Amino acid sequence: MSARRIVLTSGKGGVGKTTTTANLGAALAKSGKRVVLVDADIGLRNLDLVLGVEKRIVFDLVEVVEGRCQLRQALIKDKRLENLSILPAAQTRDKTAISELQMTEVIEQLGALCDYVLIDCPAGIEHGFRNAIAGAGEAIVVTTPEVSAIRDADRVIGKLHERGLPVRLIINRIRPEMVRSGDMLGVDDVTEILSAELLGIVPDDEEVIDTTNRGEPIALVAESRLGAIYAKIARRLEGELVPFTTLGAPSFFERLFRKAG
Amino acid sequence: MSSVRGRGRNLEIAVDRALGAAAEELRTQFAGRPDFYRGSRAVANLGLLEPPAIELAAFRDALAEFGIVLDGVCGGESVAQIAAEVDLAYLGVAQVAEVSAMPRKRQQREVRLSDDARSLIADFAGARADMVRRRVSGPVGGAATVVAAAGVAIPLQPRPVPAGVATLYHRGTLRGGQALHNLGNLVVVGDVNPGAELVASGDIVVFGALRGVAHAGAQGDRNARVIALELAPTQLRIATVIATSGADRTKRGPEHASIVDDRIVVVPFAEAELKRESHA
Amino acid sequence: MINQVVQDEVPVAGDVPRVRGRAIVVTSGKGGVGKTTTTANLGTALAALGASVVLVDADVGLRNLDIVLGLEARVRHHVLDVLEGVVTLDEALVTDKRVPKLRLLAAAQTREKDDVDTAAFRDLIGTLRDRFDYVLIDCPAGIEKGFVNAIAGADEAIVVCTPEVAAVRDADRVVGLLGDDRKVELIVNRLRPALVRKGKMLSVDDVNDILHLPLLGVIADAPDVIVSTNRGQPVALDPASEVGESYRAIARRITGQDSAAPEIPREKTFLGKLFGGRS
Repeated sequence: MSARRIVLTSGKGGVGKTTTTANLGAALAKSGKRVVLVDADIGLRNLDLVLGVEKRIVFDLVEVVEGRCQLRQALIKDKRLENLSILPAAQTRDKTAISELQMTEVIEQLGALCDYVLIDCPAGIEHGFRNAIAGAGEAIVVTTPEVSAIRDADRVIGKLHERGLPVRLIINRIRPEMVRSGDMLGVDDVTEILSAELLGIVPDDEEVIDTTNRGEPIALVAESRLGAIYAKIARRLEGELVPFTTLGAPSFFERLFRKAG
Repeated sequence: MSSVRGRGRNLEIAVDRALGAAAEELRTQFAGRPDFYRGSRAVANLGLLEPPAIELAAFRDALAEFGIVLDGVCGGESVAQIAAEVDLAYLGVAQVAEVSAMPRKRQQREVRLSDDARSLIADFAGARADMVRRRVSGPVGGAATVVAAAGVAIPLQPRPVPAGVATLYHRGTLRGGQALHNLGNLVVVGDVNPGAELVASGDIVVFGALRGVAHAGAQGDRNARVIALELAPTQLRIATVIATSGADRTKRGPEHASIVDDRIVVVPFAEAELKRESHA
Repeated sequence: MINQVVQDEVPVAGDVPRVRGRAIVVTSGKGGVGKTTTTANLGTALAALGASVVLVDADVGLRNLDIVLGLEARVRHHVLDVLEGVVTLDEALVTDKRVPKLRLLAAAQTREKDDVDTAAFRDLIGTLRDRFDYVLIDCPAGIEKGFVNAIAGADEAIVVCTPEVAAVRDADRVVGLLGDDRKVELIVNRLRPALVRKGKMLSVDDVNDILHLPLLGVIADAPDVIVSTNRGQPVALDPASEVGESYRAIARRITGQDSAAPEIPREKTFLGKLFGGRS
């Protein structure tokens, strides 16, 4: 099968899996890749919200699996990026509605249609998590530099290794000034504890809340700092060696954070 | 994978793998709700499969565990003889089973209602498939309240609403993930939150804010209406026409939605034309 | 108040029989909105008021309540050990030296949520209610078996929600699943009044316009919370912390000592930021 199938997971909820899936997908699509995003959070779907396609949902993942519709009838094409499509989750069902085998089959079918399948995993390590990783060939673990998140990420990485999935790490919502004052773990601390290959570092940005509420991924906002970072992550995913921006430059970030709010 | 679909009052089971595996799959599927289909009659569509008679008998027995009576099979010509060996009717290669031609006992009223409700969901899926086809060929949503490519024929056979069907009356707010499906009309006194779903073969009335998905006339009645104190649905569907509300969030008071000239039109309730129009 | 050693009540023959304690599950649907932090801080604040409190971590396999309380080094046994009869309840309960009336029953880390039998867990909560004034259950994210277990045995729920669309949707789903037989109240967490004013964040009214729940409290976003959870020192113990004060106020509302409507944090003026505590 042609496509790379990547699950985005974390263990801990609320660290930014869905936002990362949406923005990384957008960045890849912008660079010319054909991308399909799959929301595996049945019953608590949010990927459609973050992308602003909620109003256009007619069929969903569970109905595809149950044979009520064709796969292409359920796929929603993004209006802003023609290479980006999303397969939404069902809202009025729960995660027992599909099996790992069924999920694998859907992901395989999608794999024939695009270059990247990104699977947004639900929080936790229960049935929903197992479904989400079932069809994947590789994993990205998203974590924030907080002790609870790192501990959960560690548990999840263990489970991913059990399945033989290669794992790469994105550290989300890092606040450089807090790292400097010793109130937040730094990048090196995190990568050392988790011993996984680093794929990206995304700083905390209050604009993300608003863009998420409005369904406009920040990666699509022209000239946004975060947009540039997601573009770099996309390039790294493609195999390019892109150096990490040092977040240490104090004056730039201190100015930025003082201006906020 | 195998699928179970309601067709009229009965089930059609489409099989796409060896019968043994299909039976296992169905057992797993039904395990959570072993009585859901109890009392139903079914037809199995074997596609191109030519199973040994003994497997067909075993499949029939597996269905019987859940109270499903297998009456007949569809499939290639060779299936006719296999079916005869195990006393099952052979129904040819037709997709739609002519089960009505077969003798059967009168169904209990409760079972009939649940069959109809299941067929409602199946019809609903058919209606939505149609809507997706239209969406693909035309623009969707945006500020306008319309999605429908003009001139596209609707391949739906509207079903008459059976006599004696009640209006479902629900008091309380419907939360995300909850759904109300009814053969007949639907009245909700309370809000319908985003992520909640209302499906009715008749009209839908929400005495509150309608913010979820509502589908009126789900079996094809283009005369169905949707009325709400605050009409702000994620998505509105009447028969096979679909529309989304615009981004405008100003509160406008009670509104009434119906199909006029093949598109969904929303007017303030005071101005709504409430006479029933004849079908085109 | 923190360092004062208070004797646990010893039952004496002829005493008035104990009224059953309250079992409250702290839930949300969406992960990362502050369930665990809220459970830890509310428990601490309630215990500081003099009530006997037990905190139960229902997040089997992804436990965090012990970290947030700073007790992870003291955890020897967990809920499954108790349910499976490996140890007694008393052997599993961890005492917090800073807050003597507070106990923790930790989750198992190397097990799965499927390992917990819902009925047995419910019975355990019942047993805890007989011994403690408040049983607070930290619910895992999601709506799967972990959630089902956590709510079993609790006839009250606190839904924690941040002012974001996705969080409100998930909270709404959970409220629907909690059913009509439980008392359900809302805490809005991580409000940023400046962003609400600019229209870049939902207001409390926007949130409750959908959720329709009695409001128990509103907590502002503040960086000292991250620091405190990383260090295992609940902000409810810090007299200078505004977030700590919000939790203490919620605790007073829960016990009934305070019946005023919850205060909604206001935007800090420039002078306020300069002279008033940490912002």
